[in-house]
Amino acid sequence: MGTYIGRRMVLLPVVAFGVTVLIFALLQFLAPEMRAAAFITNPNQLNALPAIIQKYGLDKPVHIQYYNWLRAVAHGNMGWSQTARQPVTQAIRSFFPATLELTMYSFIPIMIIGVWLGTAAAVHRDKTIDHVSRIFSISFRSLPSFVWGLLILMILYGRLNWFPPGRLSLDADLFVRAGQFRVYTNLMTVDALLNGQLWIFWDSVRHLMGPVLTLTMISIALLVRITRSSMLEVLRQDYVRTARAKGLHEDVVINVHARKNALIPVITLSSLTFVGLLGGVVITETIFNFPGIGRWGAFAAQQLDIPGVTGFAMFVAALTVLGNLAADILYAYFDPRVRLQ
Amino acid sequence: MNWTRQTVALLVLALVLMLVGGAGVAQGQAVRNPDTLVVVRFGDPESLDPAYAYDTASSEIILWHVYETLIFFNGGSTGAFVPMLATEVPSVANGGISRDGKTYTFKIRPNVRFHDGTTMTAEDVKYSLLRFMFMDRDGGPSWILLSTILGVETTRDDKGALDATLFNRANQAIRASGDTLSITLHEPYAAFLSIMAQWSMTINKKWGVSKGDWNGTAAGLAKLNNPAKPEDTTLFTQASGTGPFKLVQWDRQNRQAILERNTSYWRAPAKLNRVIYRVVEDFGPRRLMLQQGDADIVTVNRPEQSQVEGVPGVRIVDDLPQLVVTGLYMNLKIDTTGGNPDVGSGRLDGNGVPADFFADVNVRRGVAYAFDYATAIRDCNRGKATVNKGPIPNGMFGYNPNQPWFTTDRARAEAAFREARGGQIWNNGFKFTVAFNSGNTTRQCMAQVLKANVEALNPKFKVDVRGVTWAQYLSLYRQSKLPMWIIGWAADYPDPDNFVTPFMHSKGTYGSAQGYNNPQVDKLIVDARNETDAAKRRAIYFQLDKIAFEDPITLYLQPSGLIVMRSWVRGWYNNPAFFGPYIYPMSKQ
Repeated sequence: MGTYIGRRMVLLPVVAFGVTVLIFALLQFLAPEMRAAAFITNPNQLNALPAIIQKYGLDKPVHIQYYNWLRAVAHGNMGWSQTARQPVTQAIRSFFPATLELTMYSFIPIMIIGVWLGTAAAVHRDKTIDHVSRIFSISFRSLPSFVWGLLILMILYGRLNWFPPGRLSLDADLFVRAGQFRVYTNLMTVDALLNGQLWIFWDSVRHLMGPVLTLTMISIALLVRITRSSMLEVLRQDYVRTARAKGLHEDVVINVHARKNALIPVITLSSLTFVGLLGGVVITETIFNFPGIGRWGAFAAQQLDIPGVTGFAMFVAALTVLGNLAADILYAYFDPRVRLQ
Repeated sequence: MNWTRQTVALLVLALVLMLVGGAGVAQGQAVRNPDTLVVVRFGDPESLDPAYAYDTASSEIILWHVYETLIFFNGGSTGAFVPMLATEVPSVANGGISRDGKTYTFKIRPNVRFHDGTTMTAEDVKYSLLRFMFMDRDGGPSWILLSTILGVETTRDDKGALDATLFNRANQAIRASGDTLSITLHEPYAAFLSIMAQWSMTINKKWGVSKGDWNGTAAGLAKLNNPAKPEDTTLFTQASGTGPFKLVQWDRQNRQAILERNTSYWRAPAKLNRVIYRVVEDFGPRRLMLQQGDADIVTVNRPEQSQVEGVPGVRIVDDLPQLVVTGLYMNLKIDTTGGNPDVGSGRLDGNGVPADFFADVNVRRGVAYAFDYATAIRDCNRGKATVNKGPIPNGMFGYNPNQPWFTTDRARAEAAFREARGGQIWNNGFKFTVAFNSGNTTRQCMAQVLKANVEALNPKFKVDVRGVTWAQYLSLYRQSKLPMWIIGWAADYPDPDNFVTPFMHSKGTYGSAQGYNNPQVDKLIVDARNETDAAKRRAIYFQLDKIAFEDPITLYLQPSGLIVMRSWVRGWYNNPAFFGPYIYPMSKQ
């Protein structure tokens, strides 16, 4: 197992290298003037375009630009993100905690509800719960996230004023900045509890509700479907029949004998979901004005903020490699056959 | 099974009740956060350094709130001034402006303190002006002072090396002694007071140097000049100015800048305790924040306007004059090489246009008479724009309201096109593209109106409308690849020179991209710039307006602006020269 993990870790820099080469190669297709766009904030600057191109070396051959970038990275400098208005490493560090918090809070309901609904649908196949779960999960999935996001925002904020957008409300935000509030993790709910400020905790939970609800709605469908079909397959196995024949209680048969085996494909899917959420959920973060990493990554790409996009892509690549590694380890844990090979 | 149906029914009922019952939360609500003003916009500032910032999102925060200028605009006027950090506005009559129009003398206001308690002196003002000039980042605002005071556009040569002699010249041109600051210009420049009202933001030398800022000597210039990134300047996120608000924090993670009242301000302290500039990119949440009172002022673009109309407790002030001119530019020297898709075949064969298609003035007149201005204004700008007679915005000094101008006239358009190139154009027809930056629906609509108008003249006339991304737009524009395109220009300072130069000078931002080169125009622009006699100066601008009509290269529209705020916001007033609301006199009640 140790060598297996070690080999995967070696892969990490290789993947990151590949991603950056790919990005620089893609950028080669763009004219220098286009790559200078991130630096033009006002049409009155148009005349300075040649000077800006020269200053940032945007007209140099792409391998030179790549070499310069790589040399800076080797010195721990991933460049300046024109869209985040801060260095790339700092941008990742400052935007990631919000996304991590959002992921944590969304992942739990997605997993619990998804697996529970999927199991229930399989066990009560062709009964009401099966149909209801199917209808809901498919309709949640079939409308784009910005529709759900806006709808939730309109109703739960615009009408009811329960769950506002952003990360904190004005009072809470000013309190957090005032100095007595210590920042430990940058996860607002955790920091609020560590500071013993329940009202800040509650305020940040209120702000998390909208995006968490949106993400749960759109991510749950696949999990329900996969759990259901995998569960159906397992329920047909001989050992389940044997368990039933032994006279075991139906709950034990389903929860112990069947479900653990049915979860194997679910692990892969859920690890991908987790990594997907961590890499940032652009639309949801934008609609709820949640200061996460996905919103920044998308904005950087739109504005051709080269260091920003490159840094973001490297970060997501690393997340994906690590996420797959975690999935494989879990896989081995659940399925002895994988371990034995 | 019954319970499921009942539960669903109950849930639906609850949802309906919530929706119905929840309506009107925003109505009649008390003033939210009465001592804090929340301004919600869609763009981050680039830098809060007054010598680096050259975009409205940045200037809106610092200008006149954190930093102040020597003089200020009087009320809503862009041409009349009141003293601010100076005790009087210089004029020839009070001896503040020398007879030759080149030297301006400012008496500096005594007992004005910076946010850290240091007293402001003439030396601080001098330091601020020099720092502004010599930071000179590529694409920055430094040219505004460099060109007027030293007669150069940049501090660097073609290879990017700093010209060391300029510092001595600047040091002699700007002199501080006691409470007096005098500035000698390279050549008389009539717009200098307008520039001082906006670009003389005064910073705290002693405080800045203690934070590692430029020490004011020639030796430190290399480090100051043309920083590689905004973060490299000392005042990127920190400030010590004289203004009514102190900068508390620019939080780039949560994308907000927080200002707090300066209690030892030299005038009466501001009424508001705090100002927060927040970025919310998406219009949906921005609008809801306004509706819920979590935002006091929000940015609303024209296409979104209908969504804030009729929201209870919201006030919309419309038809605000702006120092912005939108142009539809015709390119006299199109770069047709390399398979340019926007010129079709590149020949006058009915399927394209040659490089010099617009070089014939009759073609340009034909387009100008064909364009349906009324429709473009009504349908594309929601009626919130006017035709502008020339590049100088209506209402500004130098604008000639009596200048004859193009009106939509199909007969004249046809006559002009028939005359162009001895009838060749009329007989062969053409095809070219009008470009706009994608996402800008106003420009897209105007391009489509123009297409319909021109194509209606002759079945052989074809105009394509193409949206390109902003980045690509810059690239194509720069290479003179676009036959026609649409873009705006906002004043750097309120003076006609800042409009005729980019629009008509052969080296101007747009003039050069259009390949326009009229030596007479270039000379008139320079003459007007140096003319201190207002009447004579006006006459030259009238002459330029006349040329803009007789030898048209651009069609001009002047869009008006709007501001959307909660009706509990008091004390707001407009000045076209402002980059955002001036918050000092404002309050909430």
